[in-house]
Amino acid sequence: MPIAATLKVLIVDDQNSVRQMTRMALESFGIRYIHESENGKEAFDTASIQPLDLIISDYNMPELDGMGLLRAVRGHPALRRVPFILLTGRGDQELVVKAAHAGVNNYLVKPFTPAIIREKIEQVLGKLS
Amino acid sequence: MASIEDLKATFFDECGELLLIMENGLSEIESGGGSEETIHALFRAVHSIKGGAGIFGLEALVEFAHVFETVFDELRNGTLSLTTDLAAVLLKANDTLSDLVGLTRSGAPIEPGYGSESRAALKQLISGDSGDDDGPAPADFEGIAFTPVRVDLVELNNDAGGVGRNEFGIVFKPNRDFFQNANEPLYVIRELRQLGDLDLSADVSMLPALSELQHDGAYIGWTGTLRTTASRAEVEQVFEFVTGDCELLISGGANDAVSASGVPTPAMSPPPMLAQAEPVAVPPPSVSPVIQPVPAAAAQPALAVAADAKGKSPPVTDKPTTRIDLDKIDSVVNLVGELVIAQAMLGQVVQGLPEEIAVLLTQRLEEVVHHTRDLKDGVMSMRAQPVAAVFQRMPRLVRELSAKTGKKVRLEISGEHTEVDRSIIERLSDPLTHIIRNAVDHGIETPAERIGAGKSEEGTIRLTADHRGGRIVIEISDDGAGINGDRVLRKAKEKGLITADAALNADEINNLIFLPGFSTAETVSDISGRGVGMDVVRRNVQDFGGRISLKSERGRGMTIQLALPLTLAVMEGMVIKVGRETYVMAMSAIIECLSPDPADVHQLVGTRGMLQLRGEFVPIAYLSELLNIASTARGLDECVVIVTDTGEGSRLGIVVDELCGHQQVVIKSIEDSYGSVPGVAAATILGNGLVAFILDVDRLPELANDLKPPPAAQAATVRRFQVA
Repeated sequence: MPIAATLKVLIVDDQNSVRQMTRMALESFGIRYIHESENGKEAFDTASIQPLDLIISDYNMPELDGMGLLRAVRGHPALRRVPFILLTGRGDQELVVKAAHAGVNNYLVKPFTPAIIREKIEQVLGKLS
Repeated sequence: MASIEDLKATFFDECGELLLIMENGLSEIESGGGSEETIHALFRAVHSIKGGAGIFGLEALVEFAHVFETVFDELRNGTLSLTTDLAAVLLKANDTLSDLVGLTRSGAPIEPGYGSESRAALKQLISGDSGDDDGPAPADFEGIAFTPVRVDLVELNNDAGGVGRNEFGIVFKPNRDFFQNANEPLYVIRELRQLGDLDLSADVSMLPALSELQHDGAYIGWTGTLRTTASRAEVEQVFEFVTGDCELLISGGANDAVSASGVPTPAMSPPPMLAQAEPVAVPPPSVSPVIQPVPAAAAQPALAVAADAKGKSPPVTDKPTTRIDLDKIDSVVNLVGELVIAQAMLGQVVQGLPEEIAVLLTQRLEEVVHHTRDLKDGVMSMRAQPVAAVFQRMPRLVRELSAKTGKKVRLEISGEHTEVDRSIIERLSDPLTHIIRNAVDHGIETPAERIGAGKSEEGTIRLTADHRGGRIVIEISDDGAGINGDRVLRKAKEKGLITADAALNADEINNLIFLPGFSTAETVSDISGRGVGMDVVRRNVQDFGGRISLKSERGRGMTIQLALPLTLAVMEGMVIKVGRETYVMAMSAIIECLSPDPADVHQLVGTRGMLQLRGEFVPIAYLSELLNIASTARGLDECVVIVTDTGEGSRLGIVVDELCGHQQVVIKSIEDSYGSVPGVAAATILGNGLVAFILDVDRLPELANDLKPPPAAQAATVRRFQVA
């Protein structure tokens, strides 16, 4: 059972405001180790050198999008099992199906509330506290 | 922690950048360009606006962005194809979106149905149902079978990717009665050692004095690390039979506290050693074949654009940037300013030294001066921003104006990457808007008139920015009707701005439009406003150290030129003396300095004298008179005349006592303390530590006029326009 305070989470979004909102929500759950990346490529570099317990990534990003990041992570021997939650828009059912095939752990539809982020994380990692 | 309001501000800043990307992308599409990547970038931009707006609960913005996004989505997947009509709708929609962002940011109430026209136009384009976007997003999609994949982090961390070794921190402290329960710590430790490299140290702090020692009591504990390929479960198995009889903490993998709860043992704080053990479990850095290191070629398009300032709008690529608090940059700018002053002081000290030392020091000092100048330029470039930030608002303005007036106008922009100090950028918007409004409203003719004049139906306004002679020059030129000199003259006479018998040449007439209270619009339109004319524009431009001039050719169009300083913080200055006072004059305003031959100065009625200079007459003014201080010079032959460019192409010879040399000076504003002082722009600190005022050269002619208002005809002569 994970304890929020020990979780290491990476937030990936090209929009600073969305990253900060997500960070705020995570911090309110007691999560303390939070990394941020602006796009999939940067996120992959971060994931390669930081131990992570969860990646929360947006889909639409320059350089490397969320699906690209998911595939890269799943193809990497040391990262292949890192839990991955994909942020999607409200019309992105098909994307979620594709992501499921690529090994996504869960998805989160934007816009979201802190309560829904928590629910989605707990569906993957179990109770946060 | 940032507040929601801070985050909102961040979001709106991002919107500004995203809207710029959209404006650029749409302009590309409008002009027939635009690749698939352009469409993708446009989609991403509007999608990001929508996403952010959703998170902050900005419904009006979400709703509009959603419809807009759907159009780009259909363009992206080919359901919709690009046409000129489509581009027009998209541009209009972009304007609406930009308005909505602005309104939302200002917190102004948004009328229900705002932008509904644009929204309807977008909706018409969409083939399918765009899906109404009201209400909160669903937590789960209906209609797809998706089950979240549960992960056991403990197991995951034990696995650690299946490669490499784990390092576990071990704290093993047998209870006092450990032996009594038939346990043997040595066996446990041996078994542990079989798993890998074990590094333990004994903790003997619990060992009592010999007299108190019980022969069957367990007093020694062990802490250390185990490097092993074994999983956590295998490590735990070693302690399987002793867990109830000891304090045990196994930490490691990427997650120590999780493991503490993984084995039910009494809680204890891990020693520092354990914390250090943690990072070893990090998977080795590696590069996946999917992702290449930054290719050198990726940086090239951006560089190519920067080099070709006159090129097309930039491709929608992102250069890596970092955001820095402006205050931080400003404090560096100030420090560089102090450095410039300190260096100037050093220069003065050196001059007072014996020659052989002075020569050596001067050489070294030259290097410092050189580096300081580079440093200053570097820091200034950090404050600089491309003028694109202002230019990008103009296409929309022209579109709106041409729709309102029924004129056909094309706006051509070049040099938008030219960089200007950001404080100037902020103040450039109003004058530029006004000039472009004027160009569309008064300059460009109606299509019928244009055809009648043998021109193409569509008028062109060119907006360019360029570096020229230490200044940034922005030109706004149109191929419209130009200034109607007769009408301007008539108007100026009617309004009493010049006398009825004033004889002016064409350039002088054109420059009358800069006089306060002058407005030629025969009917006051809601575009050019009511007489808040070019004088205000000129004042605005002068306020930030810029100069404005114009050229006009009847029937062919006109060009307005703004010459702006590169920076507002440090400048090249000429140090001058009048009486016992020292002043600084901007080098950029000085055309030449000379010792006048009194015979060349002709006394004309209503002037302080006209200096004959290579066949031309330049009015002169005595700085001592303008500033009301006593001159120490006994006659004009002891003075120096500085011929200055006072803006609008006119020149003024300023008579001073002495030139003391030129140096870089740091501009220190005095307006906060003293308000606006006529003739003085700012202050600075000289090399000798004294404070000197920086003269406001552009205002000196006004001071000269106030001394003795010359007749109107001569005023016009003073304002003679000269092509730069």
